Order: sequence, then structure tokens, then C-alpha cells
Amino acid sequence: VVRPRRRDLEGRQPCGGRWRGRALTSHHDSQYNRPFLESFEETPMLVAVLTYMGYGILTIFGYLRDFLRHWKIERCHIAREKEEQRDFVPLYQDFENFYTRNLYMRIRDNWNRPICSVPGAKVDLMERTSRDYNWTFEYTGRVVLDVINLGSYNYLGFAENTGPCADSAAEITMKYGVGVASTRQEIGNLDRHEELEKLVAKFLGVESAMVFGMGFATNSMNIPALTGKGCLILSDELNHASLVLGARLSGSTIRVFKHNNMQSLEKLLRDAIVHGQPRTHRPWKKILIVVEGIYSMEGSIVRLPEVIDLKKRYRAYLYLDEAHSIGALGSRGRGVVDYFGLDPCDVDVLMGTFTKSFGAAGGYIAGKWELIEYLRSHSHSAVYATSMSPPVVEQIITSMKCIMGEDGTTIGCDRVRKLAENTVYFRRRLREMGFIIYGNEDSPVVPMMLYMPAKIGAFGREMLKRNIGVVVVGFPATPIIESRARFCISAAHTKEMLDRALSVISEVGDLLQLKYSRRRIQPSLSLPCDDIVFEDIDD
Amino acid sequence: MNVGTAHSEVNPNTRVMNSRGMWLSYILGIGLLHVILLSIPFASVPVVWTLTNLIHNLCMYLLLHTVKGTPFETPDQGKARLLTHWEQMDYGVQFTASRKFLTITPIVLVHICSAITRPVLVFEEESSPKRSSRGIRDIWGGTRTRRNVAKERQDGCVCFGFAGSSMSFMTAALPGTAAR
Repeated sequence: VVRPRRRDLEGRQPCGGRWRGRALTSHHDSQYNRPFLESFEETPMLVAVLTYMGYGILTIFGYLRDFLRHWKIERCHIAREKEEQRDFVPLYQDFENFYTRNLYMRIRDNWNRPICSVPGAKVDLMERTSRDYNWTFEYTGRVVLDVINLGSYNYLGFAENTGPCADSAAEITMKYGVGVASTRQEIGNLDRHEELEKLVAKFLGVESAMVFGMGFATNSMNIPALTGKGCLILSDELNHASLVLGARLSGSTIRVFKHNNMQSLEKLLRDAIVHGQPRTHRPWKKILIVVEGIYSMEGSIVRLPEVIDLKKRYRAYLYLDEAHSIGALGSRGRGVVDYFGLDPCDVDVLMGTFTKSFGAAGGYIAGKWELIEYLRSHSHSAVYATSMSPPVVEQIITSMKCIMGEDGTTIGCDRVRKLAENTVYFRRRLREMGFIIYGNEDSPVVPMMLYMPAKIGAFGREMLKRNIGVVVVGFPATPIIESRARFCISAAHTKEMLDRALSVISEVGDLLQLKYSRRRIQPSLSLPCDDIVFEDIDD
Repeated sequence: MNVGTAHSEVNPNTRVMNSRGMWLSYILGIGLLHVILLSIPFASVPVVWTLTNLIHNLCMYLLLHTVKGTPFETPDQGKARLLTHWEQMDYGVQFTASRKFLTITPIVLVHICSAITRPVLVFEEESSPKRSSRGIRDIWGGTRTRRNVAKERQDGCVCFGFAGSSMSFMTAALPGTAAR
């Protein structure tokens, strides 16, 4: 569908239900067909000062422990080079390891916990203890059963080992084997791959799609095929490492705009077009704006209508990475484009991964037919990387058909709706309790601020004691004061599980004094499981 | 805990001094040091201020201008390994707000210190010439005759304090020559 240019309508009121491109800095709310509620409450000053004090004390103790280790008063567990290699150039700089050995090691039991069941809504963990303060772990032999899993990216609950997806994957393994052992361009192109690609294109509403075996590699191997020297990449501040790596590998000039800030992006676009390439001032060969659908560390959703408006005005291209938002947003689960009610043809390159909502692995790129044909021969991944293995392909096909409703049931539709309900309920209850939550009201990724370094470890451990598994993140993966616990809501969570989780979080929050929010919200009197009405926009 | 996986900030050390509440914490840290030094029983107020000044300058010199690199591995293949924290701040951009703040603080501290150690001279209106031997009255109440003034000069604390802070000021104002 070719959309006519709407130059003459700029500045006038929109006609019909769908938004149209218009002047950027005004009429923000009318571009969105639903309220866009994002909040990133500022850190209270006292908490910030105490956090710095905490890091200062930890640093002083780190230096003290290093001193003790150096003078052999304390036993040194760190890997060292052998005696014979003492005079060689050292492999690692001592100081670079400071944070790992003095801060990370102390709370290391909150990460890399081994699980021994499928990571669905509940998961079994292997219990482990440490006698030397987390340098080595031993398994006690016991299994912690039925830990409520708030850490897996299991948005639609397809992480299960029973059901139609698992059965069809097992069947296909019998027929095709476990691996393909070849690249797409050689003999690794199965008929299942072709079917999957047609299905993905139909799911997203675009002309054509291509799938790759690894989500990270989809970004890092394909952006170099799309841009090169003489091109400009405008990437968001909080883009994932795969996008950053792909942008660097491509050799283009990279400029970073402030997170989700459309004024910053517009300024960069204008400067780029006016001044051209850095020394020669020649026009850029192409300008590619790289954004993500949901940013998993902040829980924010990209302002897609405004980005598309900018892209059309300044004739740039848009690369949208829907790693977390595909399947998790939108009334039909088609991602952030569906969430805003936009036309998928407006986005030039749609990228996503199957790891999160589909319970599989791998990534896809979708767009116009010419683009995908070009990528089939020029993508690094298509030429050198092994193609997706058959059981994974089958899992994606079955789960995608389930979401689309093509398997004859309404399971997919129910799950999408349940995820939206769970998200709204969970976020609202956490906010009412007084925690600081970042991000958009509709995003299933819920970062809850902890701030102080000691509370990172304390929160993870206290939650595990009460049988709930959470993911905590700290510096340097986040800014220095903004350490957080990140909850990922799933459609597989029942209301009882969420209520139990919320009561435990409230209890631990009172114990650790985590309720920092200074905005008081009245507890809503309506029932928690409201019907969420998704507006269908018709022309 | 990996650097650079969830965001494109290559070296988080560059943004530490701009974080919320960092400047306030720094001032409070100096205050805390001062209060701890004040609790030493035999030290007088000017000596304590001088010690605060000296210890602050020494610590800042060590932390900002001596220790090189980052305490974590960065994904930029070690470009910051040979840079001190001062050189890493804001990726080497000069005269940002944090740099100006960190340059001005030791200057303010040395001014406070010298004002307290060597007090402001106050000249009295002399009604009769016989009272010229009275000397100069200082703002803390006692009179300073020529003998007292000479004794205070021998104290020499201010000289050390001034030298220390001017050294830190000069190193703070040096642009990062090793960077780029």
C-alpha cells in the first residue's frame, strides 16, 4: 500500500482516526491514539548521598582487602599467573578487576543461579551454599521447588515443555534432525525456513522476512550490510550492545541522541543534513535511525509516531529493534507498531527476536521484498552462520500460529490479553505501595529502583528466601546510583502468583526501606482485572 | 554485571561526576573530614582547617590525577587504561560543569583556610597618638602586637596550605594531554 504524500495537510487537523504527519513540537498528544504515560521519578537527594557513601565505604574496604591479600594476611582466591610467568607482561591489569573481585564477588550468589526445570511461571532452582564468601559454590543436593519466576523473558508463557509447541517440535526433530550444519546459502535452507519466513511476514504485515539463528547476530551481522562508510547512524543512548556492535562494525559515523528524546533526535538530523559528512561536507549516503521497541533496562517504549514523523520529514531510514516488544505489546500481539496503530510499511527495517515471546531462539529482519532479497545475499549471517535448527523453527511456527489464532483456538489472543492485564495490575499495585517504578505503563518490563549497592544483594537474597526469583542489576550495567530490580511479567503468571509476589515485595520493601516514592497514588477502587479496551482504529 | 550490554555508554566512569547528588556528597564528604579532624583534642581551629585542606588536596590528587584506568573492564579495548579519572571525565571534553566545580572547590577551600588562619586586618580609628602601641585588633577579639604577628608567621601553616592547594589547582587546570 503506497501512502500518498501528505504535505498539504501539514498543520491542519487530522482527518479520520489514524494520526497523520504534522508539525512535531506541537500536538504531541493527538498523534497518539492512547495516552502515553511514562515516568522516571527522580532520585531523592538523601538516597543519592547515601548511595555514594555506600560505594565509598565499599571502595575503602576493597582497597583494604587488596592490601591484606597482597601481604598474604588474607587468602587470595583470584586467578593468578604461574610463578614462571611472573616476569611476562601481565594478562590483566589489576585495577580493572577491582570491581569484580571486591564488589561483584560479594553478592555473586544473586546471578547465574542454576535451574533444573523449564523456566515458566514457576521454576526449580538448585540450592547452593558458599563457605568462602561466594568465591566457590557447593550444591547442597536439595532443589528449591516452585520459585515464582519474575526474571525470565517469558512474556506470553510459551516457555513450556508440554503442549502443542513442544509436541510439534519433537515431531520435527524426528523428521529433520537436531541441527542443519550448514549456512543458508549452502545446503542449510529448509522448506521449514521458507514457511517460517512467510509466516513472519504475514504476522508483521510486511512483504517479506528473513530469519537468523541468533538474535544478537541478527543485529550485529545485518547492520553492516545495510550501512557503510559515508552513512550516518543515529542511535538511542540506551541501545543494546548488539546494535552498538553492528553500528561499529559497519564503519558508519555514529551519533547518539538522548534516550527517547525527539528534540535531541531532530536536532541531530537537522545538523547532519545541513552540515553533511564531517570533513568534506558532502551529503550523507543514507541516514539510519536505530531505536528499540521496549528498552529492557528502563521499561520505556519508543515514541514511534514521532520517530516516523521525523523520518518522513527528513528522509531518513528507520531500523526498529523489537526484541522485547514483539508479541508483548499491541492488541493482537504484533509489537510496538500494532500498539500505536501505525502502518508497518512506514518502518523500513523491522527487526525482532524469537527468544522472548515465542519461547525459541533466533531473530528476524522484515521489510520490503527488495531489502530482504538483498540481505539474503549480502548478510554476513546468511553467508557464514549456521541457519536455525528445525525444532526451534517449528516452535516458532507453532507459537506464532497460536498467537495469530490460526491453530483454531483463542489461546494466543487470551495470552496477549492476560499479559496486558497482568502488566497494568502489577505496575499499578507496585506504584500504590510506594516503590519507584520506571518506564511506560504498558510495558511488561518493570524496573524497580533499589539505589544502594547493599540493597542489591539484600533484595535478591530476601526474595529467594521467600521463594521468588528476581533479577537485580547494578553499576556498571546501570548508571551509578540507579541500581534496580527488574521484573518481567508473563501471561503465564496467574493472579494468585502476582498477589503473592506483590505481598512479598511489599514485605521485603518494608524490611529494606525501598519505598522511596514521594508521589502518593490513591488505591483504585475498581477491580484489578479490568477489561482493557484496545481501540480499533479504522479509517 | 557487564559494562555496555544494556546501554551504549562505553565508559561509565565518564558520567559519575555528573550524577545526581554527587556534588553535594563531595561537599558533605569534606565537611565530614573536617568534623573528624575537629575532634582531635590538641588541634586548634586554624590547624584543623589547614589539615582539612591538605588531606582534601592529597586525596583528590590521588583519586583524580594518579589512579589510572577503570575498576571494571570496558568494551572499548582499554582506551581508558592509561587515563586518569580527570582525563576520563566527560570523554576529555574540557570546561564542563563538573570540571569547573572540581577546580573551584580547592580554591574556595584555601581561601576559607587562609581567612581563618591569617585573620583579616582591622585598622582602628586612633583618637590619640599615645595609643599607637596598642597594635592591630583582629576580628577574633585579641590584639596582635608586632611580637604576636611574628609568632603567627612562624606558624607557617598557611604557607603549606597555599602551596598544596596551588599545586592541586595547577594539576586540575591542566588539560588532559595524554588523551587524544
